[in-house]
Amino acid sequence: MVATVLVAAVVGIAIGAFLQKGRFCFVNAFRDFFAYKDSRVTKGVLAATLLTMVFWGIAYQLGYYQGFWTPDWGLTGLLGGFVFGVGMTYAGGCASGTLYRAGEGYLQFWLTLLFMGVGYAGFTVAFPTLESTYFDALTVGTGATLFELTSVPGGLLALAVAVTAVLVYATLTGRASTAADFGERADAAQLDPSVLLAPAAGLRGFASGTVAYFRGLVRAWRDPIASSKRPWDPRTAALGITAAAVLWFSLVSIVGVTGPEARWTGYLLSQAGVDAESFDYWGSVLFQGQGVGVTVDMVMIAFVIVGAFLAALWSGDFSVRVPKRRRLPNAVVGGLMMGAGSRLAPGCNIGNIYSGIAELSIHSFIAAVGIVAGVYVMTHWIYRDVGCAI
Amino acid sequence: MPSIDDVTDTPDELSDDRADELLEEADLVQDMMGEVCPYPQVEAKKGLQGLESGDLLVQETDHVPCTENVPRAVGDDADAQVWRSGDAVYRIYLRKR
Repeated sequence: MVATVLVAAVVGIAIGAFLQKGRFCFVNAFRDFFAYKDSRVTKGVLAATLLTMVFWGIAYQLGYYQGFWTPDWGLTGLLGGFVFGVGMTYAGGCASGTLYRAGEGYLQFWLTLLFMGVGYAGFTVAFPTLESTYFDALTVGTGATLFELTSVPGGLLALAVAVTAVLVYATLTGRASTAADFGERADAAQLDPSVLLAPAAGLRGFASGTVAYFRGLVRAWRDPIASSKRPWDPRTAALGITAAAVLWFSLVSIVGVTGPEARWTGYLLSQAGVDAESFDYWGSVLFQGQGVGVTVDMVMIAFVIVGAFLAALWSGDFSVRVPKRRRLPNAVVGGLMMGAGSRLAPGCNIGNIYSGIAELSIHSFIAAVGIVAGVYVMTHWIYRDVGCAI
Repeated sequence: MPSIDDVTDTPDELSDDRADELLEEADLVQDMMGEVCPYPQVEAKKGLQGLESGDLLVQETDHVPCTENVPRAVGDDADAQVWRSGDAVYRIYLRKR
């Protein structure tokens, strides 16, 4: 037990610190890509997801894992994901982003966390009705992961998916760069040369980008203390988060945020005298009939805040920040939508985009589409006066 | 020998003295303390729309990611420089092109 709590502390602190140092924000990753084609953090998110997929695949193949998280799939992922995506864009931080900013001293994100808790509690009260009207009606199939559905060895399957994703990425970026080289002629030509050149050009760009990244990393090592205080490349955060997630996967479970947070809400309310266990959702779903208490993933999530706090303090980024009054609706409404949306899907950006895609869960593919669609719509609304690039 | 600037494109940092000098000559100062993404990005774009070429827009913020996101959001519309107080307060200087 002590060992498990120690692992939770190490993994939580590591994830919190890497999130903070890499400004690893899923809202930023998609919002800024849509608004002005900034793909810096998007690359970090992609790298973390694909790397984790490969290492989890290997761990699964070798038997070093404790289980997958595979909710039944259907339209719930799309709807709940959409509500969550709109909420996180409005709040200015996803489930993980809210945690690390809480650690950096943003009072606004503590308020967001509070209202996420209100969202979890509201959902829990409505759960008996939702179960028959919403979940039963919209669920299509039983939850599954491609790792268990196919007989392909896990490591190989993950590698194949990751390589395919990199090729698609290379084709897209390569097409953009070759199309720019050929200018308008590419549109006029009978055979569009960018179709053939795109993957090669994209891969070359990918390779030189990766080499440049590792050169930068080597240079940063020459002055480790000064480098540790500067902001880090999101790809560095991706590597660190992957290492922590592989440790967690082999010893405990996949990485989730809002599930443990919803348990915290039940636990804290039970400490305040509410009979949380009598609510179906807390009693039998989240705590699985084992009584309302502190579970190891709840400990881990709490240590994410601690890790972000330590990293921010070390970098001179910690400060108690008081929000502008006009931003309070963002924390209240955004928090409520994230709390409710993450339960309706179920799962947040970490559970569905990061962990869910890495574990090849069918539900998470659908929910990820819903979340990204939500970010897209909300980004266009926030940028309505100045316009979006995509 | 490639330099660090080839692989990172964070804006140039200003010294304390230069940061104060430039603040004096700013044409528009936006108070973004307590604001988080993406509002400083949106406000910077709006602010620049109302300025002439060569004018200086300064944002004061306590939100770390803004030091990178705001210069990227305005892109080619302005040249960006950043001042870090070391105490979780940052200023972003945007000179309209």
